[in-house]
Amino acid sequence: MVDEAAGVPAVRVQGLWKRFGEQIAVAGIDLELPSGRFIGLVGPNGAGKTTTLSMVTGLLRPDHGTVEVAGRDVWRDPAQVKARIGVLPEGLRLFERLSGRELLSYTGRLRGLPGAEVDKRAAQLLDVLDLAGAQHKLVVDYSTGMRKKIGLAAALLHNPEVLFLDEPFEGVDPVSAQTIRGVLERYTASGATVVFSSHVMELVESLCDWVAVMAAGRIRAHGTLEDVRGEAASLQEAFLELVGAGARTAGSDLDWLGGGAR
Amino acid sequence: MSTPATAAEGTAAESLTSVFVRLKVSLLRNGLRQSAGRRAAYVASMVVALLFAALQFLGLIALRGNAHAAAVGVLLVAVLALGWAVMPLFFPSGDETLDPTRLVMLPLRPAPLIRALLAASLVGIGPLFTLCLAAGAVIAVARGAAALAVGFLAIAFTLLVCVALARAVAAANVRLLTSRKGRDLAVLSGLVVAIGAQFVNFGVQRLGSSGGLAPLEPFADVLRWIPPAAAVDAVDSVSDGAYATALAQLALTAAALAALLYSWQRNLTRLMTSPDGSTLGAAGPTSDGVRGSTGLARLLPFLRADARGGTPSRTATVMERSLRYIWRDPKTKAAWITSLAIGLIVPLFNALQGTGSVYFACFAAGMLGIQMYNQFGQDTSAFWMVAMTISSTRDAYLELCGRALALLVVTLPYATLVTVLTTALLGDWRALPEVLGLSFALLGAMLATGAWSSARFPYSIPQEGYKNVAPGQAGLAWISIFGGMVAAALLCAPVLALTIWLHVAGADAWTWLLLPLGTAYGAGITALGLRLAAPRTAGRLPEILAAVSKG
Repeated sequence: MVDEAAGVPAVRVQGLWKRFGEQIAVAGIDLELPSGRFIGLVGPNGAGKTTTLSMVTGLLRPDHGTVEVAGRDVWRDPAQVKARIGVLPEGLRLFERLSGRELLSYTGRLRGLPGAEVDKRAAQLLDVLDLAGAQHKLVVDYSTGMRKKIGLAAALLHNPEVLFLDEPFEGVDPVSAQTIRGVLERYTASGATVVFSSHVMELVESLCDWVAVMAAGRIRAHGTLEDVRGEAASLQEAFLELVGAGARTAGSDLDWLGGGAR
Repeated sequence: MSTPATAAEGTAAESLTSVFVRLKVSLLRNGLRQSAGRRAAYVASMVVALLFAALQFLGLIALRGNAHAAAVGVLLVAVLALGWAVMPLFFPSGDETLDPTRLVMLPLRPAPLIRALLAASLVGIGPLFTLCLAAGAVIAVARGAAALAVGFLAIAFTLLVCVALARAVAAANVRLLTSRKGRDLAVLSGLVVAIGAQFVNFGVQRLGSSGGLAPLEPFADVLRWIPPAAAVDAVDSVSDGAYATALAQLALTAAALAALLYSWQRNLTRLMTSPDGSTLGAAGPTSDGVRGSTGLARLLPFLRADARGGTPSRTATVMERSLRYIWRDPKTKAAWITSLAIGLIVPLFNALQGTGSVYFACFAAGMLGIQMYNQFGQDTSAFWMVAMTISSTRDAYLELCGRALALLVVTLPYATLVTVLTTALLGDWRALPEVLGLSFALLGAMLATGAWSSARFPYSIPQEGYKNVAPGQAGLAWISIFGGMVAAALLCAPVLALTIWLHVAGADAWTWLLLPLGTAYGAGITALGLRLAAPRTAGRLPEILAAVSKG
């Protein structure tokens, strides 16, 4: 399916705006995300990453602008788009009073997959994500890492072309993080696209081959990891430069600090 | 604990006791200092409690000399003790000194600790209320100096048993109270009080209609042997000269107190020397399995029609989840139990008292129909999972159908049962088809308006605490529920008009027609309501998600 869509970007965003009362959360974004890549959307807290991802996935209505996923308009052709994307939002609940297994069974059937196929895929996902032992436990009793993993399983169940993950590693222990990473790397290796947001630069640098930097509701830079990093030693430094925090070195104002009492 | 301590131990324990009593007083005082609102609430509840206690005290004294005074005193004390026993389960955070984990780091021996904690728990409104009630009960029955002396003992015993009971129950259930299940239980607590109040109300009315206190005697005959009511009744026994009975009752109470203190001390020691519930819960991966899934599937075999290889219908999938949530989600469960209980209690109790009409049976359908309102608010922000899979009006229609059908699986048999029971109590079998028809028409109208207002006026239901509407959305909730109910009543007007016309025209022989007509009308209007609600749902997914994500 990726070959067929070759040349079509995974996501194309034009003139995207969102305002909450006085505050402008997203101030006119134009962006094309190539397909088949591991894409990182980075930015400080409050940059508008979650708002952007919500609008791209159809969970939030933009004030202006258009969003296309795999060449289809999210708002005009929801049936085509929703079948092709998987989403793991941040800050929204799951149906927590279902067990992990019931949640996958429910999600897969809502997606219209055959029952037997749902059960087969759910069993494999639970196994790979190391949740098989807790599959009959209610999701409300899961730890943060387990919740992210069951959310990821629910997002992958219908084998989407593009996967959107909002802060998938936030609050996740190193073991679970490694499991999630393994699954995502295998998934992109097959030609699918992953778009995930994070404010941890080291993580983005080690995982992604394409990044978009966001700050104050705008895209500051985008392109391959090498392009965005440019001359800087690390993505962290390039990022600080881009968002205008690099020049502010904590130095001259606190010259009395340290070096013995005076 | 009841054995006298040696002099040295005595002073040590005394100082520890006074430390704990002062700690409790400080905690009470500091709690009041936090905010004016809290102070006002505390003072108000104190005034109400004291007024109530004073009234009971005076009432019991007024009963002095009445043949049933002892029975009333015994019953009141028994109910009070029951209150003490269940209170810590419902309000676990009510008393900070109840939480033994806060004392874990202190070098304390169990016996002096128990003494100190017991003394500290005697400070507060609750014990004062208990004191008033016990004193009233004793004064009501005490005749003679010996009885008065036993009376003082009885008051002390009542107070200590009540307080020790609350502590022992709390200590035995700390593991439950600090777990998710305990918090779920707390959500249901308001409900138990509300439904209990209905029964008390009914009992008082029965008592009022029978014109005397005599019906209390059989209950009192049992309770007078159960501590702490036994201690209060011992006063009556002494007044009657039955010293042996009194001694047995007092001994029973003392034994109960000792047993409670022993169990409390044992649990406390165990709690303070072993990991707490939250740690254990996280450690055991499969400790809390789900058993219900296969049972439910067996109960509703058509839900699993897809297991034979076909594509499952969205309706069946949604229905299955909705039914699971009725049982597993505490907020949904509380709402359902309230509806089920009130829908049964109102028509049945009215029928029992002879004041009811068979038409009251429609109350069950009305109460249960309310559950169709704010369907997506019941999902909380998990609604995004539904929104992600609705991409056409048809998807939205199937989603709403699943929810309506899940509701009908419970509601149809229940409304029928309530109607049949009410009819049986009133003996008015001729009215049964007519009332059933009206019930089903009302249910259909509620489902239709519920589906529509779920799409048009969704609001958040906070998952913690007792509130059912998120701050700032009360207006929406009013529009949704009351507007919907008025609309439902209007939608029922044709069936109502037909009913009235048939009666007025004297065509009582034809009222059975209302059963098929009402049922068809209800089914038709439900289908129409779902059809109209579906495009609204499909077109407003982001707006609905935003509205239900505030909890």
